[in-house]
Amino acid sequence: MIELLLLAIFISPVIGSLPVAFAWLLDPKRSWARKLPIFAVLGLFISLLCTLYILFNFGELDERVYRQVKFEWLPGFNISFTFIFDYLSRIMGVLTALIAFLIGVYGLEYMKHDYRLGWYWFFFNLFTASMLLVVYSDNLLLLLIGWEGLGLASWALIGHWFRDDDEMSFVGVVGRKIGKLNYFWSPSFGAWRAISTIRLGDMPMFFAIAVIFFLAGNLNISEINWGELSEKVGSVGIFLILFAFLLGPFTKSAQLPFSEWLMTAMTGPTTVSALLHSATMVAAGTYVFMRLSWYMEPWNIHSAGIEAIYVLVLFLGLISALYGASVALGCLERKVLLAASTMSSLGLMFATASASLWVGKFAIIVAFWYLVTHAFAKATLFLVAGHLIHETHNRFCVGGKELAKHLKLAFIATILATLCLSGIPPLTAYWVKSAMDGVMHHLEHEFGLIPLALLVLTSAIYSAFLAKFLSLNFLKGEYHVKAHGGGRLMSLGYTAMVSLLPLILLLYLYHPDFHEFVAEGFLNSSLAVGGIVLFTYLIALYKPSLESPVGRALGDRLYLAFLNDYIIPALGWTLAKLVDYSNRAIDFFCHRAIPSAFGLLSIGIRRIQSGSVELYLRLSAAVLVALVAIAVALGVIG
Amino acid sequence: MILVLLSLLILTFAGILSYKDYRISLILSLAVLFVSLEFGGIPAIICFLAILNIVSLAVIRGNQISGVDYAMVGLMAIATIYAFITSDIAELLALFVVVSVPTYLLVMVDEGKLNVDTGIKYITFMVIATVLFIIGTVMLYSGYSWQNSAIYFFGFLLLLIGLALEVGIAPLHEWVPDIFANANPISVSIIASLAKFVPFIVAMKVIMITATELTTSALLVLAVFSAISMFIGNIGALTTQNPARILAYSTVANMGYVLAAFVAIMASKDLVYYAIAGALLQLFVNAFGKVGFFNAIKGGASNVSNYILCFSFIGIPPLMGFWGKFFIIYALVFSNYLWLAIILVLNSAISVPYYLRLVRITKASTPDMLTNILTTTTAVVMLVTLIPPTWFVELVSEVFK
Amino acid sequence: MSLILFALIVPLLVTFILPLFKPRIATILSTISFLVPAGTALCALLTAQREEELLMNLPAPIGDFYLLYDPISHALGFTISLVSAMVALYSLPYMKHRFEEIDAGLGEFRKYWFLYNLYAVSMLWLVYSGNLLLLYIFLEISLLASFMLIYLYGYGNRQWVGILYFVWTHIAGVLALTGFLIIAFENQTLALNEIRAIGFLPWLLIFIGMVVKLPGLGPHIWLPWAHAEAPTPVSALLSPLTVGLAGYILLRIYLIDSSFISQFRDIIIAYAIVSSIYAGLSVFRQRDYKRLLAYSTVSQMGYVLIALCLGTYGLMGLVIQYMSHAFGKAILFMTAGALITAFHGLRSLDKMKGMHEFVPTISNAALIGFMTLSGIITIGMLAEFLILIGLTQVYGFNLAVISLVVLVFVITGLYSFYTMREIYYGTPMGYEKPKFSRLLDLPLYAIAFFSIAFLFPPLAPALLDGIKLALGGVLP
Repeated sequence: MIELLLLAIFISPVIGSLPVAFAWLLDPKRSWARKLPIFAVLGLFISLLCTLYILFNFGELDERVYRQVKFEWLPGFNISFTFIFDYLSRIMGVLTALIAFLIGVYGLEYMKHDYRLGWYWFFFNLFTASMLLVVYSDNLLLLLIGWEGLGLASWALIGHWFRDDDEMSFVGVVGRKIGKLNYFWSPSFGAWRAISTIRLGDMPMFFAIAVIFFLAGNLNISEINWGELSEKVGSVGIFLILFAFLLGPFTKSAQLPFSEWLMTAMTGPTTVSALLHSATMVAAGTYVFMRLSWYMEPWNIHSAGIEAIYVLVLFLGLISALYGASVALGCLERKVLLAASTMSSLGLMFATASASLWVGKFAIIVAFWYLVTHAFAKATLFLVAGHLIHETHNRFCVGGKELAKHLKLAFIATILATLCLSGIPPLTAYWVKSAMDGVMHHLEHEFGLIPLALLVLTSAIYSAFLAKFLSLNFLKGEYHVKAHGGGRLMSLGYTAMVSLLPLILLLYLYHPDFHEFVAEGFLNSSLAVGGIVLFTYLIALYKPSLESPVGRALGDRLYLAFLNDYIIPALGWTLAKLVDYSNRAIDFFCHRAIPSAFGLLSIGIRRIQSGSVELYLRLSAAVLVALVAIAVALGVIG
Repeated sequence: MILVLLSLLILTFAGILSYKDYRISLILSLAVLFVSLEFGGIPAIICFLAILNIVSLAVIRGNQISGVDYAMVGLMAIATIYAFITSDIAELLALFVVVSVPTYLLVMVDEGKLNVDTGIKYITFMVIATVLFIIGTVMLYSGYSWQNSAIYFFGFLLLLIGLALEVGIAPLHEWVPDIFANANPISVSIIASLAKFVPFIVAMKVIMITATELTTSALLVLAVFSAISMFIGNIGALTTQNPARILAYSTVANMGYVLAAFVAIMASKDLVYYAIAGALLQLFVNAFGKVGFFNAIKGGASNVSNYILCFSFIGIPPLMGFWGKFFIIYALVFSNYLWLAIILVLNSAISVPYYLRLVRITKASTPDMLTNILTTTTAVVMLVTLIPPTWFVELVSEVFK
Repeated sequence: MSLILFALIVPLLVTFILPLFKPRIATILSTISFLVPAGTALCALLTAQREEELLMNLPAPIGDFYLLYDPISHALGFTISLVSAMVALYSLPYMKHRFEEIDAGLGEFRKYWFLYNLYAVSMLWLVYSGNLLLLYIFLEISLLASFMLIYLYGYGNRQWVGILYFVWTHIAGVLALTGFLIIAFENQTLALNEIRAIGFLPWLLIFIGMVVKLPGLGPHIWLPWAHAEAPTPVSALLSPLTVGLAGYILLRIYLIDSSFISQFRDIIIAYAIVSSIYAGLSVFRQRDYKRLLAYSTVSQMGYVLIALCLGTYGLMGLVIQYMSHAFGKAILFMTAGALITAFHGLRSLDKMKGMHEFVPTISNAALIGFMTLSGIITIGMLAEFLILIGLTQVYGFNLAVISLVVLVFVITGLYSFYTMREIYYGTPMGYEKPKFSRLLDLPLYAIAFFSIAFLFPPLAPALLDGIKLALGGVLP
């Protein structure tokens, strides 16, 4: 039974996408081929049902209880397909499947006229299935399969419009140059940036997994004795292992300095961005970190190495959060703005989860629920953005009240999502953010008020750019564009998505598990932060744009693209050029110089052949004399 | 010896009769050869080679001495076979001369008129070679008997030079390319094949008989000769375009390979068989290969046969050429001449381009039937080592007991 | 006579009768003749069969000729016969096109099929050879057949390239042969199961020979010529199967006596890493699709050499790396060939952009090929995993080695997707969508299937446990 269930979760999306994939490969022109995506969405739906079943029928949802299911894989190596159903994975699974399904429904309309439906649906569903694999797997190698699947699918989807011929699919102002660098990105380039950055993190992570396997003899996160492991390898050892491991999550979740790919991942279809930014790809990084911390229980291990790693994650997360929020503040492109905001949220998740070293499991739970809240809100915003781009044919934040009137549902959804996400009391994110404030407050002994201050600052900016997004798109945007209408399925998608936010709010308020959240929310300090957030929200709503060089620099992401597109490639190309010269030199030496030398030698040898007997006899005589000399010498010695 | 004299008489008779009808000579020569088959495996192969030579002479039937040439080939074959059996130095020297002299005439054989210029050049060198060889042998033996190292070395080196001049080992190879290029391909094919055995066998036996502790250092000079010969032969051929000249240089290189096997002379009895087997196999490869290629030059042959011969020369397993090198390298390894082994294997790589060129330029669109058959036969001979020739080593050990 | 021997003899016999048939029938025959050993080897792998079968008794110093059946041989044997079978199918449309280009009639197929089968079958027998001399013989036969194929049907200055290839690999072969002969003298046998010790000198000679063949940095310069100018079906055997066999030979030598590697491990691994990174960087500058793939082969062979230095896990990685590279590179070379056929000799990257538009099936296959190379959800992942474990086992926390090996892997991923972008992505150039034979894309997917299937049960555990068993079963 459980086998079938698991199989259905991972396989049904892929199977569902096969009809359209094959139909497209054979002949994309048939009209019936365009109806096949319905099966793909059906596959996603089956997946959703299974995850729901797992959520509700696997016993009580408790932080301490988990259940493992194992199937044989490499028995000789103690590696098996191990799935784990615990607090994190059961909720995360439903979250992933639900969001994927809703986006899938939205995508039915959004991608209706696309030129590569087979590719799109296959990889969209593979993306989901991979994420579900990451979510449920306990075994690191199995997790890595899902992890690589995510990387691959993201590459495929970001570069979905591989022809690079549609300005709508670019990021940045087409034709713009800063210095020598083109400051705009095509889909194929966006895909390359994504995969190249991710590979940089995946390989060290793979190495860390190999080390863990070698040292612990086991790859199941929940079974590895992390305390023993850290004793075995010492502080430096465990630091290296964890650092190498976390490079994977860092690159996937676009923490500094690996954030650039996420910004240009917006070259993919909006549905992809929505999925990538809410429940899959980027969330996978933080999710894996949470899962690792969950079972590693760093609060029980005393190791300087582990502590150093957690401090690193804390500050990296906070700084990335601040950077992301600031960039979003300066950004004018709808999707890039949202991308930067995601980066900021991911930073917060990392930071909060890393606080578990000092605070305990509670910090992970807070981070996790922030992830959930953020996922729904961000997915909504992306879907809205997609609809707007569809309607206005413009990637930038434009649109006024007319647009709001025309797309009432989108308008309402945006209001709700921004309010719920920014942490304005008493809406959804407020309670999580309050708990987060509390967690950061706990770190006062260690780091003073710096973490808290960074968090509050980030929150304030965060709420400001959300308000800016709302305002520029629906209220005070520069242009009033005549929209074309339609988009019922799309509206359905984001309406359903946003309607989950109030549900979560209810959950926070009434479910006994969250009484700590509520308690934190009623603290004065939290209320004060809520006040600040509301204040910045209102200001930004009133005055969404402000021309300033700082803003422009932020909008250009503080020119971090130069690192990604100029400095490192220049280094690489220089090396490649050197290597190329050296190849030419070796080639010349081996295939020109040496043969020529032999040729010359050969001609020399043949030159003796003059045909004159006299010469030959003289040569023979010379050899004879030389040998006589040798004979005499040998005779003397002998 | 009686048998040899008897054969000589028959063959002389055959030569005389050939003025009436060349077929008489042909039949008699073949008959003599078949009689000598009873001596064992290796003589049988020599006979087979001689038969191929005789048949190939049929290609130039219209020559001046048609008929006598068959008898002379038969004579050479008989002498070669006998050289395997005897170990008397005087007899060996006599056989050396017996094999050498018929080639003086054979080299001049050509369609139409005799090729006198080439003949004179060849004879000049052969006479010097023979003289040096004989003097060398005598001195070597004297040095060995009197235990005089100076005379021993002197004799050894004279023998070496005589051998080098006789078979064309560099740096005394100068006559080879000229003769090979100017004489008739068929007559060259005899000089390049059947005539090469006796000098080596005689030299080897003489050195073995006279071996003392001095031989080890003398062999070093021989090894250097061998290395020089490989390099000169292979590199010389690299830029050569004339097929006969390519084969000439190939001969020089092959003689170098064979000479390399001599360094194992001092090894123990069961090991030295590998060295002799290697040298002989290499000589057979050279002989059959030259017969095949010269016939291909003369009348053309199928491309497949040419390729097989070419790869055998290069030393690709499981062709015969590989096994010759295989045993020689083995001999070098157990005699601690690793440097020479490496030079040898590198030389086999250097030889690749020109053998391939040889195949390309001897390609014929409509090959003559007889030459084609001959070349194909030699190609088939190269394939007999599909069964690893440890049997050949056994044959050698029987003959050289 | 065992079943495996029978399965090995089938393609050998077929080789000699193939010239009698018409091209189409010959194609089918050749394919079937390789599918037979592929199936048998797969079954033997799944049952972890280990046996020795005597062919011929030979006296010292050669020793017995026997066939060695163990999971390592089966794994390689399966790879070789699968790829050969698929490439045989692919050959039909490709060589038809090639013969038209060089104005040769369809009669050339007689020669072609003989040489092709001889080439593939000699590699197949090589991995089952239990005697170093037998192994050498098959090594040289495979060299010979592949040389003839390049010499007769290659591109560019094919005779020059052919000779270049011949000379380099012949040097490699004869150096190893010298090493073998020293072993023969010291052990009085060349049978793998009776050799007791391998001294420094023979090890060195064999190692140098195999590094030339593999090839490592320096000698690598022959490979781009040979692999790029060979007719593509030959490239699709040369690059995936032949060069890696050098690694296999080193593995067999190592299993007898590992002294040389343990003594010079640091130098060898440094050389291997530099060679791999160097070749990986070279890939970026290539503007010819096949040359690009050839450099990638050099880089991948660096993996093999790295794996050789990494203890038992490394050796397992070596075998799997061989397979993964074979699958991946075979697919990739066939995609290059498909482009050549479909677009009349198109090889230059400068004239390719957005090719996915015109040949989506080829583009997808190339993606799987590159996935296999960079170890994304394919058998390549297992290879990398084992190499990394071996790295930990041997080098512990040696940061320099770790980061360099990781860099090697990263570079592979980078050039893979860089190439995907250069060739298949971007604004399409003005080509017509071509019509081409299904034989140019379906065989690629058959290989791709196994590339992915080997990551999962039942193949993955059978493979890993089998190799472990063959290596002595000393792992956890």
